Amino acid sequence: MSNDTPMTQNEEASTESETGSADPTGDTLVETDVSSGLDGGTPQRSTSRTLIESKNVNVWYNDDQALKDISMEIPENRVTAMIGPSGCGKSTFLRCINRMNDLIDAARVEGELTLRGKNVYDDDVDPVALRRRVGMVFQKPNPFPKSIYDNVAYGLEIQNKSGDHDEIVEQSLKRAALWDEVKDRLDESGLELSGGQQQRLCIARAIAPDPEVLLMDEPASALDPVATSQIEDLIADLAEEYTVVIVTHNMQQAARISDKTAVFLTGGELVEFADTQKVFENPESQRVEDYITGKFG
Amino acid sequence: MATDTNRIESFGTVSRTVGTAFRYLLLAATLFGIVMLAVFLVQVFNDAIQPLTADAGWHLTFLLTLVVPTVALSGYLYLRTPSALRLGAAVVGTLVVTLMFGAGLAMVFVDVVVPLVWLSYVVALAIPAVTVVGLEAADRRLPFTVRTGLTVAVAALSLLFVPGVVQTVPFVPTDWMIVALTIGGPLALVVAGRFGSLTDRRGGLAAGVVALGAVAVLSLLGPFVGIDPLPMSVLAAVAFVPTAAYAASAALSRPADRAGLALPVVVVGGAFLGAFVANLAGFAGPESWVDWQFLTSAHSSDPVAAGLYPAIAGSILLMVTVAALSFPLGVGAAVYLEEYAPDNRLTRLIDVNISNLAGVPSVVYGLLGLGVFVTYLGQSTGTVLLGGATLALLILPVVIISSREAIRSVPEEMRQASYGMGATRWQTVKNVILPRAFPGILTGTILSLGRAIGETAPLIMIGAPNVLFSTPTELSDKVSAMPLQVYSWATTFAGDDFYNGLVPAGVVVLLVVLLAMNSVAIVLRNKYQTEA
Repeated sequence: MSNDTPMTQNEEASTESETGSADPTGDTLVETDVSSGLDGGTPQRSTSRTLIESKNVNVWYNDDQALKDISMEIPENRVTAMIGPSGCGKSTFLRCINRMNDLIDAARVEGELTLRGKNVYDDDVDPVALRRRVGMVFQKPNPFPKSIYDNVAYGLEIQNKSGDHDEIVEQSLKRAALWDEVKDRLDESGLELSGGQQQRLCIARAIAPDPEVLLMDEPASALDPVATSQIEDLIADLAEEYTVVIVTHNMQQAARISDKTAVFLTGGELVEFADTQKVFENPESQRVEDYITGKFG
Repeated sequence: MATDTNRIESFGTVSRTVGTAFRYLLLAATLFGIVMLAVFLVQVFNDAIQPLTADAGWHLTFLLTLVVPTVALSGYLYLRTPSALRLGAAVVGTLVVTLMFGAGLAMVFVDVVVPLVWLSYVVALAIPAVTVVGLEAADRRLPFTVRTGLTVAVAALSLLFVPGVVQTVPFVPTDWMIVALTIGGPLALVVAGRFGSLTDRRGGLAAGVVALGAVAVLSLLGPFVGIDPLPMSVLAAVAFVPTAAYAASAALSRPADRAGLALPVVVVGGAFLGAFVANLAGFAGPESWVDWQFLTSAHSSDPVAAGLYPAIAGSILLMVTVAALSFPLGVGAAVYLEEYAPDNRLTRLIDVNISNLAGVPSVVYGLLGLGVFVTYLGQSTGTVLLGGATLALLILPVVIISSREAIRSVPEEMRQASYGMGATRWQTVKNVILPRAFPGILTGTILSLGRAIGETAPLIMIGAPNVLFSTPTELSDKVSAMPLQVYSWATTFAGDDFYNGLVPAGVVVLLVVLLAMNSVAIVLRNKYQTEA
């Protein structure tokens, strides 16, 4: 698929997902029922294709195993949340998807993790090219010490994208619900914004090159409640065009914004992965119920 | 009552005797070195400038015209708007430091580089620079190899032919015009950009034109105050116009601090008024060893006629060579070690060795320079190139270490953000790490240059002449340096006037140059800290 015209690609992507149930390729279909009250903000959707599939992913840091046999299927154009106590490996799994763990010498990944059917750990996969299709937003807002415009245009610059950068920057800032606040001061440093604005700037930066997936590593944990609620509204909107995978400490947040929830528990195990409503109302595992009701963790 | 029985009469006390004693011991330790140095420096300055030899009337005149108004205005500003006082002091400081750099540059243009040759190389380098910009703008999808190949080809052809062509063009602009254009032009662009962002497009354009015009007018007015147009054009383009532009832009962007701009007016005006009045009344100034004659003449066996000029020029040339050699090598090594090198035994060995090399005595580096460059590579002794290369080797470990510190202080989140966006390592280094670390790298490099400028031993080892009567004009010319000249006055020519007059005078000049360089580093660091 050509990357030249990002808007077109989005439209194609969303069209595909809507007609996904009739797709003749026989991709796995995941039932995603999000009609109930847990998730009032997101539009009602029925089924979606699997975009990311992990099969028996194991991760070691030196000799310590951080993830054990993780297998899950992340649906396209949905919000998938990962919750669990600190050190359970949920961020590690997130970083496996765009191979950010490659930057850590001690990390070793085994197993198969496919994006649209292609194993991202195949030898012929260039991790840099992979990361250009998988945007990432970090826990702490980390805009570059550059102007707001240059921050958003960074991905376009490094990827040598053609097209009207001004237009894409404006669209990205609008989609990140930041445009109205910064449109008159695009030349100012991104560091002069408030924390919540900085995080939305980072989201705008991540979506400007039009990735397929948006990984978010506790994007609201460093923000105040008002900014958090803005980010949550934004995530619901973004799921219309992107596949969002979000790691969060905050269980209410996962319940509010996600379609599917994965619960990791200590030791790097994926204990439960199902529709969010089911995980929170009727978990299969006693450990997950204890965790969710606050008896542990 | 219950409350009465639970009442606390006293919380008791905790002894702080040892802590207090420790605190004052630390204070004494802190002050010891500073006080010793201050006493020494006061003596040196007293010997060099001899302020007590001036008439009482001279002192009184300057006290009334310069010192009292300056102190009074500073005190007033300090009580009213401290930020205005800082602005005023910054303008005065900028003027002083840029004047010194301007004087050094003027020296280079008058005695070392022929302005026409300078112009020819500026043109020759401008052509590939324009090519690069043009290629970027024309088509960002041109393959990297094509772009690089074109750029290199244009640069090589341009450097090969353009200087010759420019130097034989029949119409030759005069020297000061060349300087006014090549230095004043970029200055005008910077001024235009600054004022353009403060006001609007037209304001910026007008400011740029005014800046360039001011450089030209000042150059032409130079002869009326006894300065040739060429050095005057350098001073105007490096010192006067930038300082004025800084003051004007501050007046626009910080209207509340405008009162502070009275301070430079009072200082400069007071100095001129004092000189005028003292001249009129016939008060004699101090019999300073540091005077115009000292700064502009070569060594002589007559201490009154002796000067430091070839040594100052030599030090400037050495600094340029050292900076040109050590900066790319040091920063390159630092970037490699911080961003690319794997963490293994070899890199750790290199780490340790770089730290150790930073502590190797400078005389050993002199021996290294002599052994490598003279014995093996057959260079002649005591040249600018040899001295520069040896001093560059000397400060290379310090440049590497301080550059690595600066690169390491770039937050890890910035790297993560860049890699997470799909940037390659090179793109991350170029777009995120180097811009962010640059002020720190520059600070470290300037401070190391300060170390190199005061070195004597390596220069003696490589056979640099202690005394030089002609200014070096090429890389292969013999070079001396300020500390060498001072050293020779203190040893070979140990007459009373040499020892008590010329040596302190040379030390003062050396220290002032060093402080000017370090002040740039300090300004950069402060700017960096406020941004970080």
